[in-house]
Amino acid sequence: MSVRISLWLCGLLTLATAGTVSAAGKATSGDIFPYTVSATTLANGLKVVVIPYDSPGTVAYYLVVRTGSRDEVEAGHSGFAHFFEHMMFRGTEKYPEEKYNDILKKMGADSNASTADDATTYHIVGPSSELATMMDMESDRFKNLKYSEDAFRTESLAVLGEYNKGVSNPVQPMFEKLRDLAYEKHTYKHTTIGFVADIKAMPAYYDYSRQFFNRFYRPENVVLLVVGDVQPQKVFDLAKQYYGDWKPGYKAPAIVAEPQQQEKKTGHLDWPNPTRPYLFLGYHMPAFSTRTVDSAALDMIGDLLFSESAPLYQELVVNKQWVDFIQGGTNDNRDPNLFIVLARVKSEDLMPKVKETVDRYLQQLATQPVDPQRLARTKSHERYDFALGLDTPGKVAAQVAEVLSQSGDVQDINRRFMQFEKVTPADVQRLARATFQSRNETEVTLSHPAGAPAKPAPGGAHE
Amino acid sequence: MSNARMIFAGSLLLALVLSAGIGTALAQQAGTGIDVVELPSASSPLVALRLQFNVGSIHDPAGKEGLAALTTAMISDSGTQKRSYTDLVEALYPLAADINGNTDREVTLIAGIVHRDKLADFTTLLEEAVLQPGFSQADFDRNKEQLVAGLTNGLRSNDEALGLELLQDEIFQGHPYGHSPRGTVEGLKSITLDDVRAFYKQNYTQAHLMLGVAGGYPAGYVAKLRQDLSALPQGVKDSKDLPAAPKIEGRNFTLVEKQTGSVGIHFGFPLPINRAASDYYPLMVANSFLGEHRTSNGRLLQQLRSKRGLNYGDYSYIEYWANPPLTNNPSPNVPRREQYFSVWIRPVVPVDAQFALRDGLYEVQRLRDKGMTKEEFELTRDFVVNYSKLWAQSLSRRLGFMMDSRYYGMPYYIDEIDARLKNLTVDQVNAVIKKYLQTDNYDAVFVTANAQKLKETLEKDEPSPKTYNATPEPDVVEADKTIQALKVKPTSIRILPVDQVFQK
Repeated sequence: MSVRISLWLCGLLTLATAGTVSAAGKATSGDIFPYTVSATTLANGLKVVVIPYDSPGTVAYYLVVRTGSRDEVEAGHSGFAHFFEHMMFRGTEKYPEEKYNDILKKMGADSNASTADDATTYHIVGPSSELATMMDMESDRFKNLKYSEDAFRTESLAVLGEYNKGVSNPVQPMFEKLRDLAYEKHTYKHTTIGFVADIKAMPAYYDYSRQFFNRFYRPENVVLLVVGDVQPQKVFDLAKQYYGDWKPGYKAPAIVAEPQQQEKKTGHLDWPNPTRPYLFLGYHMPAFSTRTVDSAALDMIGDLLFSESAPLYQELVVNKQWVDFIQGGTNDNRDPNLFIVLARVKSEDLMPKVKETVDRYLQQLATQPVDPQRLARTKSHERYDFALGLDTPGKVAAQVAEVLSQSGDVQDINRRFMQFEKVTPADVQRLARATFQSRNETEVTLSHPAGAPAKPAPGGAHE
Repeated sequence: MSNARMIFAGSLLLALVLSAGIGTALAQQAGTGIDVVELPSASSPLVALRLQFNVGSIHDPAGKEGLAALTTAMISDSGTQKRSYTDLVEALYPLAADINGNTDREVTLIAGIVHRDKLADFTTLLEEAVLQPGFSQADFDRNKEQLVAGLTNGLRSNDEALGLELLQDEIFQGHPYGHSPRGTVEGLKSITLDDVRAFYKQNYTQAHLMLGVAGGYPAGYVAKLRQDLSALPQGVKDSKDLPAAPKIEGRNFTLVEKQTGSVGIHFGFPLPINRAASDYYPLMVANSFLGEHRTSNGRLLQQLRSKRGLNYGDYSYIEYWANPPLTNNPSPNVPRREQYFSVWIRPVVPVDAQFALRDGLYEVQRLRDKGMTKEEFELTRDFVVNYSKLWAQSLSRRLGFMMDSRYYGMPYYIDEIDARLKNLTVDQVNAVIKKYLQTDNYDAVFVTANAQKLKETLEKDEPSPKTYNATPEPDVVEADKTIQALKVKPTSIRILPVDQVFQK
């Protein structure tokens, strides 16, 4: 649910071509991603990806539904993909909620789910000896989910509780405001948890929730990813056995493209509690793609500007100490999203100076080629950062699931890593120039008005 | 090295590739020198280093709360005698490595993880930071300012973290655990650079250090590192005596007043045992049944969230859990001899606050009165035995739990869970429930707007019937009759404006 500033990776991941049943690709010595990927696609369209991993007795079982808050095209239904994720734990006839939980409990499994802009991901990390049970239970709920309207209405309050737990932090309402301002047409206008008014209205939409399930929870829209102590062919066989009769019927939503922003947008939030002021900036940027170096270059721009050793970070945090933190970067998305910058500023009078400093560094990157040595050091950083994140099957699965959520194409895992090595100073400059323009910018500030009377605090109450 | 990135990043990366080639865990005690814990794994491409010093907030002098944490920051987030902080982070950048520092109540951890290709470079930087900290005025000013901002703008702007942290201060009032390792605003402001120098000199000694190394490091590496770290003063092993936790009498409520849309609720009391005690393990099963962290297994979550829609989650704990909003598994390297039982009720809408407190207490009371059935016990025991193995999937975490076990003077914790639980009976579990859990004497923290109104509601202690937006199940209707009338009248109650929390 949280915004992820992507500090993506580089390296090489080898994989087999997707087909009816794949042959395994073998990693070569020295690859930063030394795992072999096998993949197949069932007749109903379900993609199955398997990565054997040296985790004796343990497997990470991931289902990536390529539907997230991006797919919430109907007005008044923001946050529904996330709400539906909650409903997926409410059981079936064969495995009612309590029975489902008890079986996972017996396994000692770690089981949960998360929703983002573009995908909803369900995971179990548990004993590989229970793989067939996982297949049975998970395929059953994806095919035969059943819940009462009472359970639906009660669960909607847990979602409101989830909204409320986050909203005491100024970053959540600022992010809502930034998205709302930056987008006119596209569904990225709302965050994944949704507008609070829509969350409060959720209990009335039981029938809509059934439609939602029938539209989006279809095999062509899902990738099954298994990482751990498994044999690919066995996973393929089990997948065919348990998911083979899942009926296709996915209908892609009609998502309206965002028109080009024409001028800078600004917004402000007064905060009811004392706080240092915040500055939040967003710049429209291209959608995630592995066809060009652009996504990789934008990820690297995030590190070039906002890593602790970056000159901008050093000037604002370490030397002048005008901000106590600043961070920025990209998020991989299926449609054009925002390069964001967030800073907490020591005092109100420093806000203009901080903004000017950020602008100066953004423009410097747009007008001057980056030092090739610094770019090389950034590639090294990306490469090792990625390697450090592959220490458990669950982490490997999470990384790969992120790539799969974008296109569903297993080949993108490989392409994604390859693009990092190709980025040149000219690429960095070109992307910075295209992105960091005033007319492409949205700025949201937040501060506590001195001496202001207490205002109603954010959050949602029961109707 | 900065806490700032945590807002988005979620948690620090301190873990390693799990490999079949894990060697035998080695440990050695070098007389009065450095205690070493090793976990070699030749096939791992990564190396984890964990330096745990027996120095924590219990060593903060009165009036200088936060000195241990600020000293840590002057090691982990500062320059050295050889290079500025700018040069240090520049050197770390291509390694994608960090020097992470964390101060808890009893210990401080300086840790890092690096690809073995870069182990020599990283070791040089880590050694410089620990052995030759720069202690520059500029670094001091920045770190002090950031720690203060972490209280005034971090904790005070995060209702859940605020309540979780404050409850500990309340439970341990008057005890060396009675202030947060993050310090207080006034305590931090009174600290000078000379205080930090003196604190470092006194506490960063060989006798206070436990060195942990895991992963694919070369032969001779640990011996060399240990030799290098012997540049620290010898010091004296002084395990600071801890008094028993203060006794809590009655129900003592603190209402933190701030503008917020919902009410976060936390309650708890000291426990006289920690994981080195045999009673801890049956209590662990009971606690998992009551409120296993971030799972659907606990009755608290099932009853408060799933059946009643009160909030997002409800959990219970029998030992300190670091950073619960951002972690799924317990963190190693935060050992504490004194522990506490607590319940975390995530924010509820204001009208439900009193009912939610009652419901949480009802579940604790129900467990005490009814205990667990044999079936509940067996299912929960099996869960904990298997689930706890997932806590140590990475070599780095496994190393951390080994170091904890050394600290507590007990066998490896994860193995101990397996061994102890396999021999448990339901009667043992139900006996420890009766021995340790109760609902008469506890401290509670509420983070709320309109604190005066909530205070009056709590003092009146009238029934708080719950209304639902759906038809509740019959067992919910039945239980609610008891829950809504549960007596929770406070013995003491105070309102604390948010700008006074962690102020002094």
